[in-house]
Amino acid sequence: MPAFLSSSYETTLEFAIVSALFALAVYVAVWAGLLSLTPIALGAVGGFTYAAVQTDHGIGLPAALALGAALGALVSLLLSTFLLRLATHYVAMATIAVVLIGRVVVLNLDVTGGAAGTGLVRRSTTGSLLLVLALVCWVLARLRRARLGLAVETVREDPVVAAALGIDVRRVQRAMFCLSGAIGGIAGVLEADLLQYIGPNTYYVDLGFVTLAAVVLGGAYHWLGPVVGALVFAFLPELLGEVMDSGENIANGVLLILIMIYLPRGLVDPARVLAWRSRLATWLPRRAAGERAITEAVVER
Amino acid sequence: MDLFLQQLANGVALGAVYAMFAIGFGLVFATMGILNVSHGTYATWGAIAALALLERDVPFVGALVGGVLAAGAIGVVVDRLAFEPLRRRGVGMLGSIITSIGAWIILGDLAQEATDAQARSFPSGSFPSGFVEVGGVRLGYPQLLNILVAAALVVGMHLVLTRTRLGGAIRAVGYDAAAASLSGVNPRLIIALTALLAGGVAGLAGVLSALSTNNVSFTMGEGLLLKGFAAVVVGGFGDVRGAALGGLIIGVSEVLGAQYISNDFRDAITFGLLVLFLVAMPRGIIGEREVRRA
Repeated sequence: MPAFLSSSYETTLEFAIVSALFALAVYVAVWAGLLSLTPIALGAVGGFTYAAVQTDHGIGLPAALALGAALGALVSLLLSTFLLRLATHYVAMATIAVVLIGRVVVLNLDVTGGAAGTGLVRRSTTGSLLLVLALVCWVLARLRRARLGLAVETVREDPVVAAALGIDVRRVQRAMFCLSGAIGGIAGVLEADLLQYIGPNTYYVDLGFVTLAAVVLGGAYHWLGPVVGALVFAFLPELLGEVMDSGENIANGVLLILIMIYLPRGLVDPARVLAWRSRLATWLPRRAAGERAITEAVVER
Repeated sequence: MDLFLQQLANGVALGAVYAMFAIGFGLVFATMGILNVSHGTYATWGAIAALALLERDVPFVGALVGGVLAAGAIGVVVDRLAFEPLRRRGVGMLGSIITSIGAWIILGDLAQEATDAQARSFPSGSFPSGFVEVGGVRLGYPQLLNILVAAALVVGMHLVLTRTRLGGAIRAVGYDAAAASLSGVNPRLIIALTALLAGGVAGLAGVLSALSTNNVSFTMGEGLLLKGFAAVVVGGFGDVRGAALGGLIIGVSEVLGAQYISNDFRDAITFGLLVLFLVAMPRGIIGEREVRRA
C-alpha cells in the first residue's frame, strides 16, 4: 500500500476501483451505441454465484472472477437475443427492467438468501483489485486499436454507414454486449468480495444510475473516461466530507449537471486532446502540416 | 367472490396512485423527450411538504395543495437548472437522463436529511379516516380519495391536452418547439407550465400515496418512479388515457397477483409486464402514433 494513502482513503479507492469496473462495463455497451444497465444485473449473477460457491466449495478469487466473466458473457448472450431487437431507446428501458427483475429473482431464490442476503469472506487486496482493473483497461486499450474497435466506433457514429461498409452491426453490438456483461460479472464478484455481504438491494437501479452517471461524467469516448468518472464520484464526497458535516453527495449531483452543461462529452475527451494537439501544432512549425490537417478534419466532424 | 371484488377494488385504488404519477412522468417524456429519473423525488417532496404542513395543524386540503405546489415548484426549478441549458445545446436524450440523475441525487439526499432518514407518517386525526361499504366491498377514505382524484385528473388532463389552446400549445411544443414558436406559441412558457403541471401531479401522487400507505420516507418516490415507468410503458407514452390505463393494470395485477399467485412475486408481475410490453408492444396499449414524414 502506498504510504500516502490513509486507510480510509484506501477503502474509498477499493470501492472506486469496483465502480470503475462497473463503469467500464457500461461504457463498452455505450461504445457500441447501446445504453445498457444490464452489467448491474450481471454483477448480481457474478456476485451471488461467487457467494454460493465460496461457501460450498471454497473457490478462490481468480477462479471466481473467471466464472463471473463467463456467466456474465453467457447471460448477456441470452439477453441479447431479445434486447438487441428493440429500437435504441427501448433498449435502455428494457435493460432497466432487467435490473428490476434481477432484484425479484434474488429475493425469491434460496441460494441468494432471499431478503436477508448472503455473506462471504473477503479474498481480494487493494493490489489485486488494481491488477484486475489494469487488465480490463489493457484489453480495452488493445481493442480500441484493433479492427473490431474501429468497427465498434463506426457503429456508434452511424450504424447505417457501418452497415454500408460491410460491418455486421448486430454482430458487433452483440459482441460488445457480451464483453460488457463479462466485465459486469467481474465487477459483481469484486463488489461482493469487498462488501462481504450482498442482498437484493446491492445490485439495483441506484447502482445503475450512479454508474451511468460516472461513465458520462468521465467521458464515454475513451476507456479512461469511466475510470476517471468513477474515481471522481468516489473521492469527491469523501474529500468534501472532511469540510462538510452532511450533504456531501449533493456535490456529485451538482457536478454531474455542470459537466453535462459545460462539457457534455465528459472529462476525458479524445477529440479535445486532438484539438489541443492541432492548436499546439500551429505554434510548432516543425510539426507536419499534414497531421494538422487530419486532426482538424477529425475535430470538425 | 367477495374477496375477489375486494381485492379488485384495492388494486384499482393502488393503480389510481400509479396512474396519477404516470400521467406526469409520461407527459414530460412525451412532450419534452426527457426520461426524468428525478420525477420520483418530486413525489417524495410533495409528501414531505404535506407532512410539514399537517404537523403545523394545517387542514388536510391545505396540506394537499401545499404538497402539490411544492412539487410543482421543484419541477419548474429542476427544469430551469438541469434541462433548459441542455435544450439550448441540443445534447439529446442521454444528456437529460444524466442531468436528471444529478437532480435525483441532490433531491434524494436533501429528502434524506429532511426526514432524518426515518420513515414517518401523517399525524393521526389530521386526515379523514373511516370507510364506505358498497355491496360487501370496503373502501377506506384514502382509497376512495385516490380513485376519485385520479378519475378527475385523467378526465381533466385529457380534456386540457386535447380540447384547449394550452393543451394544443403543449403538444405543439412537444412535437417541434421551433415550429410552435412560429405559430405564436411561447415555448419557454409552455415548457415551464408543463414542468409545473407534471411536478404538481407527481406531488399529488406522493401525498395520496403517503396517505394510503401511512408512510413518508425519503425512498418512497423510488417505488412510484419504477411503477409509474412500468405504467407508462404498458399504457403507452404520450397519452393521458394510456398512462392511466397502464397504472390501473399494474395496480390491479399487483394486488390480484399477490392474492392468488404469491406475494413474493408482486414486483415480478409488474416488471414482467414491463418487459413483455417493451418486447411485444413497445408503443403500449394506447401508443403515440407517429405521423412524422420525411
